[in-house]
Amino acid sequence: MGGFQTVIYEKRDNIAYVALNRPEVLNSYNIQMRDELYQVLGAIKDDPDVMVAIFKGAGEKAFCAGADLSEFLTAPSPIIARQVRWERDIWGLFLSIPQPLIAALHGYVLGSGIEIALCCDIRVASDNTQFGLPEVGLGIIPAAGATQTLPRTVGEAKALEMLFTGNWLGASEAYQIGLVNRVVPKDKLLPTVEGMAKKVVSYSPMAVRGAKQAIVRGLDLPFAQGLELEKRLASVVNRW
Amino acid sequence: MLAYEAIIYHQESRIGAIILNRPESGNAINAQLAEELNDVCSKINRDDDVVVVTITGAGGAFSIGTDWSEFSGVISGEGRKVPRSVATAVAKLNPPVIAAINGDVLGQGLELALACDLRVAVNIAHFGFPHITENAVIPQDGGTQRLPRLVGKSKATEMILLGEFIDAPEAYRIGLVNKIVSLKELIPVVTDMAQAMASKSPLALKYAKEAIHKGLELTLQQALHLEADLYMLLQTTDDRIEGIRAFREKRTPRFKGK
Repeated sequence: MGGFQTVIYEKRDNIAYVALNRPEVLNSYNIQMRDELYQVLGAIKDDPDVMVAIFKGAGEKAFCAGADLSEFLTAPSPIIARQVRWERDIWGLFLSIPQPLIAALHGYVLGSGIEIALCCDIRVASDNTQFGLPEVGLGIIPAAGATQTLPRTVGEAKALEMLFTGNWLGASEAYQIGLVNRVVPKDKLLPTVEGMAKKVVSYSPMAVRGAKQAIVRGLDLPFAQGLELEKRLASVVNRW
Repeated sequence: MLAYEAIIYHQESRIGAIILNRPESGNAINAQLAEELNDVCSKINRDDDVVVVTITGAGGAFSIGTDWSEFSGVISGEGRKVPRSVATAVAKLNPPVIAAINGDVLGQGLELALACDLRVAVNIAHFGFPHITENAVIPQDGGTQRLPRLVGKSKATEMILLGEFIDAPEAYRIGLVNKIVSLKELIPVVTDMAQAMASKSPLALKYAKEAIHKGLELTLQQALHLEADLYMLLQTTDDRIEGIRAFREKRTPRFKGK
């Protein structure tokens, strides 16, 4: 699947590789990237050959340094913007992908960069990674899910602290609060993530998808209903 | 400066600072303190000049809990007296709230701290719920709800059912506090944090708080709708334009709260 400029998509041995590709501007997220990413995510979701997807940033300096502010203040009215937001619900799509998603993070992971990482299931960071949410200092709040995905990942208090102070976190603090699963030296980042992906590829696809659904959808339900969901998924997936 | 006795309140540079002021009884929460705290919270919510709130205790403790000795509480529906709530009013504050925990924080004092958004504590503070061991009661100002949501069920069960106190390093480890500091660092660290927040857009701070708190009560999908709506509302503000302009012009933004 090609013809994109701001996103590079490759598929090899049942693994999808998605690279955010605007390295000259630290992979900042603009309208074109939104539209191309939307297509790539749809392609992943609909492709039974893809068992796991890896997300990374092109270039040396950043996974994604946030939204492209040169496009701000050019938006249509909030009424239209609100309509457009739901016509192509990229974050809803991202969060509904049945395959496991692994983020390989390095350098700057700011603003929407964190939000893209949080739409993934597992985050591995190189030791030079810096995380931050600058939105409140710009007079806005995150709009790509962080006010919801971040507290569900690191807890309410840490999420409030990150948003209210706008302070940056290094990789080891991010690890301590649970924002990332693992920290590795820069040269081990892709090998580590690929190692995880290859393990996933070796498992039964139904079991992998069932496990993700049970956990992610279950957390949205009252506990008893979550247990029912697990039972239903197991009855479909489990063959002893 | 408003004329209270059991608390002190002053406001400066967009920070509203509340000090629990009954140091001779470890800032134990009696009817007067509860009354004044509820009053100052509703005043703060009507005051657009307050962008961040801090709460700390006078003397050596943050608050050791409900003042049972002076107890003359509110009569509940069943005719039994119950202590007056403070946590609800604090949880309803619109601006971000930082608890500067200057010493032991127990019982209803801990429930008050849990109702704040962030907690910074001195490294000698102790945390606990003595309800079950000392009074054969349960926490009733939100502790049985806020504690497990913050530190997880296992630790909350341990603290509430066993009535055991924990020290500051353990409180940090389980996520009960955001940071621990030495006694002399407490005020400077909390002041820096409050000033960093106070320089941000007041509306964005309030809406970020609302998105997080309300959103955790919704399904993720519903919560994403809440986030989008609050974001769209901020699109209509002058402060948003100022924030982005200031970033582009590489200068400090001047927010007006509208």
